[in-house]
Amino acid sequence: MGDRLTQLQDAVDELAQQFVACIHYVHRHHNLETLDPNDEIRVLPKDAEQEVDSHPAEVFKAAQIELAQDLITKEQQIEYLISILPGLDNSERDQERNIKELEDELKMAEAQHQQAIQEKKDIMSNLDEVIRSTRRP
Amino acid sequence: MANPNESQEIQDLDQITSTWPRPPPFYKYFTADNLARLADLKRERAETSNPPPPHPPTTMPTTLTGLPPNLRNLQPPPPPDEGAWRIFGDPYRLVQPLPKLEEGGEIRPVVANGGLLADGERDDKHFDRATVLKRIAKSLLLNFLELVGILGQNAMDAADKVKDIRDLLYNFHHLINEYRPHQARESLIATMQAQLDRLRAETAAIRDSKEKVERMLEGLGSLKIDQEEAVAAASTAGTNNKSGGGRGMGELEEEMWGMLVEPAV
Repeated sequence: MGDRLTQLQDAVDELAQQFVACIHYVHRHHNLETLDPNDEIRVLPKDAEQEVDSHPAEVFKAAQIELAQDLITKEQQIEYLISILPGLDNSERDQERNIKELEDELKMAEAQHQQAIQEKKDIMSNLDEVIRSTRRP
Repeated sequence: MANPNESQEIQDLDQITSTWPRPPPFYKYFTADNLARLADLKRERAETSNPPPPHPPTTMPTTLTGLPPNLRNLQPPPPPDEGAWRIFGDPYRLVQPLPKLEEGGEIRPVVANGGLLADGERDDKHFDRATVLKRIAKSLLLNFLELVGILGQNAMDAADKVKDIRDLLYNFHHLINEYRPHQARESLIATMQAQLDRLRAETAAIRDSKEKVERMLEGLGSLKIDQEEAVAAASTAGTNNKSGGGRGMGELEEEMWGMLVEPAV
């Protein structure tokens, strides 16, 4: 999991891989047709590498549908990722102003923090004194 | 990728270089003594040179000149002037502009001007970019559909369509990479906001515990008077009432310490 831009880039790469996978599946598992009554399908010996590993028609169809659905899903994922990209409604100038404001606020908050710590230290020593003095009645 | 020449080259490289380069010879100067002497010298110089620099934070750490040779290497060298340097033989630059899409050669840009954000358009919102990206995503699907159709008709004509898809993909990646600085700034804003919230929460917690202790102290003040009265009463009565009073104090003290060790969130 990276930031959203990286996720988006990965998603696009995956889409491209799915393209290849789809074509590869169709290329590898389609069935063979004879175009002419005189054609005949050459039968390769069993142990030789088969050019086409035909799947039964219904399996092939189902796989095609699944691959197509996966493509659509991935594309929708991509669109979703695009729509949640950070800061789509901020311009660069907005961002700069925002950062400056935050910087000032941070400085102020830091000063307050230090002050609070100092006050706490004071009150602690105060308390310490009181306790010490009450111990010896 | 499996290039027979490549492995040969790697072997050759191995022979002329060790795993790690040897440290530069001046590393021996970095002794505690030398560092202390350098710090002393720096202090002396700072005291002798009267006019302080007008904006100390903006100037680089002062570099002393005319040091003895064994201290000269203890100071970092000045930053590279022209923003380029070499490490282990590889050139680096401070400014790394994103290569233009057109420079890659035959990639056709989908969006004119390589997207957005020319200098005059800094105020542009990025709605456009999202729309363009979505459009490219849809085009990818459509082009793939066309590609499959063409492959079914005549596979020889598919090369152009493949090129179209490739260009779309390159364009997509390019647009995303152009968006990266924007996302980086956005992350910075988010981090700063989180830091601010945390700091404020911490301050509030400290203030809270401080007020608690203050209240306790006030309570203790009123109780102390009671205690003194009790002790006075006990002493006048001649009976030792101290144990009862002592226990009261002990309980109170325990309570106090309990509040103190309570972590300030």
